[in-house]
Amino acid sequence: MVGFVYALMDAGIPVSVRYLLEFTHAIRSGMARDLDQLFLLARLVFVKRVEHCDTFEQVFASYFFGADPAQALIRWEDLLSSKPFHEWLRDQVEQGKLSPEDVQELDTDELLARFWETVLAQEGAHHGGNRWVGTRGGSPYGHAARHPGGGIRVQGKGIHGTAQKVIGARRFVSYSDHSTLSAENLRQALQSLRSLRPSGPETELDLDETIARTAKNGGEIELVFGRELRNRVKLIVLMDNGGYSMTPYIPLVRTLFNNIRGLFADAKFCYFHNCIYGVVFRDPARTDPVPWEKLMNEGHATRLIIVGDANMAPAELMACYGSLDLFTAQRKPGVEWLRELRNAFPVSVWLNPIEKARWGRESTSIQLIRRVFHMEDLTLAGIKNAVTHLNLQGQVYDRLGN
Amino acid sequence: MRFAGTDRYYLNAELGEIVNIAIAMEKPLLLTGEAGTGKTQLAFEIARALGLKMEEARCKSTFKGEELCYVYDTVLRLNDSRFGSGDTGRDVNNIWDYLRFGPIGRAFLSEDRRVLLLDEIDKTDSDTQDNLLDVLEERSFVIREINHKVTALHPPIILITSNAKRELSDPFLRRCFCHYIPFPPPDEMVQIVRLHFPDIPEAFLETCLVSFYRLREQGFEKPPATAELLDWIGSMRKMGIRGPGAGREIPHIGTLLKRTQDILRHKGIRKPSSL
Repeated sequence: MVGFVYALMDAGIPVSVRYLLEFTHAIRSGMARDLDQLFLLARLVFVKRVEHCDTFEQVFASYFFGADPAQALIRWEDLLSSKPFHEWLRDQVEQGKLSPEDVQELDTDELLARFWETVLAQEGAHHGGNRWVGTRGGSPYGHAARHPGGGIRVQGKGIHGTAQKVIGARRFVSYSDHSTLSAENLRQALQSLRSLRPSGPETELDLDETIARTAKNGGEIELVFGRELRNRVKLIVLMDNGGYSMTPYIPLVRTLFNNIRGLFADAKFCYFHNCIYGVVFRDPARTDPVPWEKLMNEGHATRLIIVGDANMAPAELMACYGSLDLFTAQRKPGVEWLRELRNAFPVSVWLNPIEKARWGRESTSIQLIRRVFHMEDLTLAGIKNAVTHLNLQGQVYDRLGN
Repeated sequence: MRFAGTDRYYLNAELGEIVNIAIAMEKPLLLTGEAGTGKTQLAFEIARALGLKMEEARCKSTFKGEELCYVYDTVLRLNDSRFGSGDTGRDVNNIWDYLRFGPIGRAFLSEDRRVLLLDEIDKTDSDTQDNLLDVLEERSFVIREINHKVTALHPPIILITSNAKRELSDPFLRRCFCHYIPFPPPDEMVQIVRLHFPDIPEAFLETCLVSFYRLREQGFEKPPATAELLDWIGSMRKMGIRGPGAGREIPHIGTLLKRTQDILRHKGIRKPSSL
């Protein structure tokens, strides 16, 4: 069982000792009488997020049914044609326990049930590389003697279809953490972006202040009201929409764009090409510039999200007059401008459509920009991290007030 | 104590098992899943089937967590101390007269075991969830004003629902059993509908479900769920409509699609797309 927990951990499902204790406790008190219940129990105890369901099912399958985690699960048809089953069947017939007529008459369920019974009764019956239920030395299920009469029902007679069937369906694939973004899961991740500040009319009773004033007032009640803390996210999104480097990511960025616009009334969008040199633009065609000073002044009360691949020639970032625009008059190198932006917006994050794993290989400029901005990739996990980062950073500045 | 579904609620066997494990392990059960898949209803049905009383808390974003346990009415006490409590029977010197218990408090203090429902917990802040952690874990809370610890006499059966409007915090999830209710496939849906409309003709139900699942696949902003399907069938039965029609002719489309944009799209009126 400990092995199973480590298998879960290796697969990236966060587990704690506490879960293991709970799991043991539940099994001790007889809550996993058959494999289906074991499966449900383990899922309840170990899986806390729907993103992990698919991984869990894979691990469970590979651990308890010996399926290759890379493959889909063994199917019953495959089992019936597998070597251990045939060996068993031949043994049975040779020993006279089953007559050839029986084999014809019994349906597959019955046959399989008998097969499992025998396998379970044979302690430690390892069949080569196959890890059947009950053949694992470390599992409490391996020893039928410990669970007299119960055994493990691996058959489809369970009230709710077998665990295998449930697993085989792989219902949770679309929730996997690595999945690309869809409108729905993105919306959920973004919705947790928060910025609590006092707003609205003064309707909330300030108890402490009321009591203090009342006491000072010689017991004449004086009610003091304050303003409620509300979630008011102000957001500026800067998008790299120029050049060919962003082209493959247009659908992804568009999903993000539509969702941000739908969720936050106070979101502004600006555009830039590759790197920022003292100016960003209000329109996608980049003709309507936003004055740099105006942008800088938004600073402390606003969250900044930059979307771009951060992939450019080092010169564009580091050199004076580095802009791709040949007629540039900007002497300051791009990285200086980025630093300035970062300082003006203490609560900011850079979202990169390139997967995190590829950042190191893709270009050196990504590493350089990562030193300036906190960077995440455009996967569900990345966006969640980004939102958490913004919330944590933002708390400090919200507290300071405006 | 086993829960096995009721005459009004179709209990998927897997879910039934999960409910019973959670009850036996005395762990809060967190139900997530699409809106309209019967998460909240489940709590009511458990209470009904087991003959227990319900305590329900419909969460709001302004909740801080403590008010679910108790509220100390300072203003009333101040007022009473200034103007006298009259013939209300309250004693200004007795703080207990000014404590009002919320759903959690009532569930803990009651003489019988109760079902405690925390509905749509995701509406609350993560701070609120953190405040509730230990309360739910140890089934006790402290009344800060008098440093009095309230411990549950009978651990309630705790059900928590979430529509995943916001992410729940990890420590909170750790303390719950979590179950994602998947959308029921057609064969289960048939049974669900039959529970609510026992005399529905086979052919009618069939065509309804075909239209329904087709609508769901069209990627609407808010795809219709079980609750909408039941409303839809109910309204058609009331109006005596024989068949659900197809395509744009679906009657009472408003019961299935809730967002204006979805309805417009369904009727083929396209908004000029942006970006």
